[in-house]
Amino acid sequence: MSAVYDLIRYAQLRHRAFTEVVDRLDDGKFHFSAKDNLCADGFQARAGSAVLDGYRPPFDATPIQKMKEVGGQLVGKTTMDEFGFGTFSTNSAHGVPLNPFDLERSCGGSSGGAGAAACLIPGHIALGVSTGGSISGPASFCGVVGLTPTYGRVSRHGLIDYGNSLDKVGLLARSASLIAKHFRTIAGPDPKDPTSCAQPALPEKGKMPRSLAVPKEALQNLDPAVRSSFHDALARFKDIGVEVREVSMPSLRFALPAYYILATSEASTNLARYCGMRFGRREEELNQHFNDFFTGVRSESFGDEAKRRILLGTFCRMVGFRSRYYLKSLAVRQLLIEDYRTIFRDHDAVVTPTMPFVAPRFEDISRMKPLEMYGADVLTVPPNLTGMPHVSLPCAYVQGLPVGMQLVADHWKELDLLEAASAWEKAFEYRFPEVSP
Amino acid sequence: MKIGLEMHFQLPTRSKLFCSCPTTSAEPNHNICPVCLGYPGSRPSLNRKALEAGLSIARFLDCTIEERVWFSRKTYFYPDLPKNFQITQYESPLGTNGHFDLNGRRIGIWRVHLEEDPGRIKRVGRSGEEIAFVDYNRSGIPLVEIVTAPDLTSPEEARAFIDQLVIELRSLCGLEAQDEQTVRVDANISVGEERVEVKNVQGLRNLEKALKFEAIRQTKLLAAGKKVIRETRRFDEERKVTSSAREKETEEDYGYIGEPDLGEFRIGDMARNLDLKETPLARARRLVSSFGIGEATAKQLVLTSVTLTDLFEELCGHVPPEKAVSWTTGPISGNWAVLQDRARWSDIIQIVKDDAEGQITDNEAKRRILSLAGVQQEAAAEGGDDLAKLISDYVDAHPEVLADYRKNPKAANTVIGHVMKESKGRYSSKEVVEEVKKEMEKRV
Amino acid sequence: MDRETIARVAKVARLNLTEDEMERYAKDLDDILNSFSVLDEAPAGESYSFNPIPVVDVLREDEPAQDLDPQVLRNQMGAYEDYVRGPRLS
Repeated sequence: MSAVYDLIRYAQLRHRAFTEVVDRLDDGKFHFSAKDNLCADGFQARAGSAVLDGYRPPFDATPIQKMKEVGGQLVGKTTMDEFGFGTFSTNSAHGVPLNPFDLERSCGGSSGGAGAAACLIPGHIALGVSTGGSISGPASFCGVVGLTPTYGRVSRHGLIDYGNSLDKVGLLARSASLIAKHFRTIAGPDPKDPTSCAQPALPEKGKMPRSLAVPKEALQNLDPAVRSSFHDALARFKDIGVEVREVSMPSLRFALPAYYILATSEASTNLARYCGMRFGRREEELNQHFNDFFTGVRSESFGDEAKRRILLGTFCRMVGFRSRYYLKSLAVRQLLIEDYRTIFRDHDAVVTPTMPFVAPRFEDISRMKPLEMYGADVLTVPPNLTGMPHVSLPCAYVQGLPVGMQLVADHWKELDLLEAASAWEKAFEYRFPEVSP
Repeated sequence: MKIGLEMHFQLPTRSKLFCSCPTTSAEPNHNICPVCLGYPGSRPSLNRKALEAGLSIARFLDCTIEERVWFSRKTYFYPDLPKNFQITQYESPLGTNGHFDLNGRRIGIWRVHLEEDPGRIKRVGRSGEEIAFVDYNRSGIPLVEIVTAPDLTSPEEARAFIDQLVIELRSLCGLEAQDEQTVRVDANISVGEERVEVKNVQGLRNLEKALKFEAIRQTKLLAAGKKVIRETRRFDEERKVTSSAREKETEEDYGYIGEPDLGEFRIGDMARNLDLKETPLARARRLVSSFGIGEATAKQLVLTSVTLTDLFEELCGHVPPEKAVSWTTGPISGNWAVLQDRARWSDIIQIVKDDAEGQITDNEAKRRILSLAGVQQEAAAEGGDDLAKLISDYVDAHPEVLADYRKNPKAANTVIGHVMKESKGRYSSKEVVEEVKKEMEKRV
Repeated sequence: MDRETIARVAKVARLNLTEDEMERYAKDLDDILNSFSVLDEAPAGESYSFNPIPVVDVLREDEPAQDLDPQVLRNQMGAYEDYVRGPRLS
């Protein structure tokens, strides 16, 4: 067996990065993985949930199909928080992935397994999905590069939905060049996903950002180690000729609530279909009144966080509450897009740390209240809510653990971000854990 | 009495509203795909034809057309609903505030919008223990929902309204004849103050029965000094009664949100650029007002054939409308199937013109028309003999007519009347009058 | 969030909650929504869009086509004589 295959199995068994892997690697193909909410013929697609146990999709998600068309072999499905609900991949029904740098710490979420796979396996490209920061977070905690494209850049056909106006398929890998190559593969309009048909064509090349903006509101409540790492990173940017300025984004404080309300509102409708009748079929329990049947299957099979988000989302859509929560959040999204646009008139990208702390220990996570966990998304939510493309880059190591920084560009400017990513890794050397499978 | 209707018609597109599955009739669960089954990872894409058909209907009903529309998710749980939400334009209709002309009265149309049909449930098993066997062929078929103001005043009028609406919509966008299978109606009916909703009535006969039953039920309650409760009822097809649906399951909160997967549609220009055909009943009204022909005649014409009506209108440019009517609804109509392909319309028109101007007899004109249609005929002369025979037979049998005629020429009318009746319109009145007068004079 | 409200939300969402769960989730939602009340300070906005980028007039031509063999789907749904068996209706 090849060294790569050994690493894949190592990542699966030691770090629980994968829910399933192939038996063997095909010759002449490059290896890639997909988060378990992306459908692929020949694999289960359970999206981290027991409600989809046994479900084998009869078709490939478009991004997976495109990767196969250029010679990729899908070697495994990566572990994740149930339906994307989480920041630490601890809400997984199929194994919680363990951080490549420290087995007692989280990989981040919800694309935790993808982060681990990208980190542990050189040359590996992991397809991840972000709704509120689920590519950036794992990239930051696992010390890899994570690109979240503009909303609508990559087809979502075959992506098991969390929030239809928020989900984006993206990539995690050790280097910007690997990501740049495969970003072009998966980008592009697909008639099966109308929201992917609004994109402008990708330009030939990106432009290196010359001026970065740091919103002062984003620098509150940071772990001191993250704060100082971030400032060192900004100094390094200046060294390579990039200007850095502080700006203000006054609407930032609305971002987290608006995101959670929109995301859970959409999710609570997306998850209505999981009721045991067709996919994830519960044959034995059919002999009940349909309301009892549906309620029984759902109550047994959804995890705690899934239930919480379904309840929250259902509430925010209800008569009497809809205006205050759901409709208001839609308005806030537009407000934030305007805030970003104002900044992009004078700057090429916005930069912040990716996460407010380094990868937390599982025992610390188990003591966190839901609101605290949602708060961890405070830096990744703004670009996700507004659909802006963003990239997370390792920018420091604190006691051996990676710290990430996140660059955000205007809609459709992924290639500019990749130029920055490319320049950055020449200026700052990435470290990866020693692995002996 | 006030009745308002919420009608759902299936639009005749070749593929479904949000996926390209066929809409033809098929074995159960053969016209299916991940989209109309609501499989995880699937998402809708809007059928252009369905949007155009919906817009045609909104414009035909004189609605105010929105510039920008979108779709919403209406969430509720039922075994026939694949996603457990229905994608509907309920919050963002194509058109509002329109009207329909019903026999000279305006019925207000509140809204026209599109939504997807759920699957169909076959109830299997013993009553009270039935299970759902679901066929998803119907899931995703495009529906247009049309909601009226409570302007209808009786069950009969409601029935007439839908019958006429269907005639118009069939011509406008090819809607299928609405039989028991396809039209679904929710009706609101109030005899007094309180409004009762009768939900989910399938088919027009059931609708009429349901409304009649409900009208009587409410009338009886009020006559007995009791109150009508404002509620939702269902129509029991077998027992032919409406019954309270209060014991039905959970009250739903539909929790509407926008459907992000479809985006939005700027339909203002699309609606303005639509080329709308003139619908049959609207055309009938125009014929009545333009040519002064009777309403029943006009309706008969438009419902028989579009091309025949076209010929009628052309004829009116050459002969008086009554002539155009009698020829069009007479010999031409009888042979139209052949005539419309075989004959040059200018030839037909010339014949009718010649007859109108007295250049040829009615008989001759008719003979020429039939000839154009390739109908074998006997010699014209026999027709003439036949007329003479009819007249002389009658006068022979009724000698008193001759006696009356000597005193008053108007007695000839009796003979004329009889012969016209007997000959069943084979001869024009001019011909008959002439021949009768000739015969009477001969005998006198 | 009182017990009646959380019970209603759970019913609408088709989730069975134990008394403990109801209390726990009610408290969670309370905490979350209280912290979200900062949204009340944001302006309401006139019209709104459901996507962060404009998605306008994306239409599909009315051509019937099926990519996937329906038999595969019927098998997956455990169809019985071509029907998908569901739960009881009463």
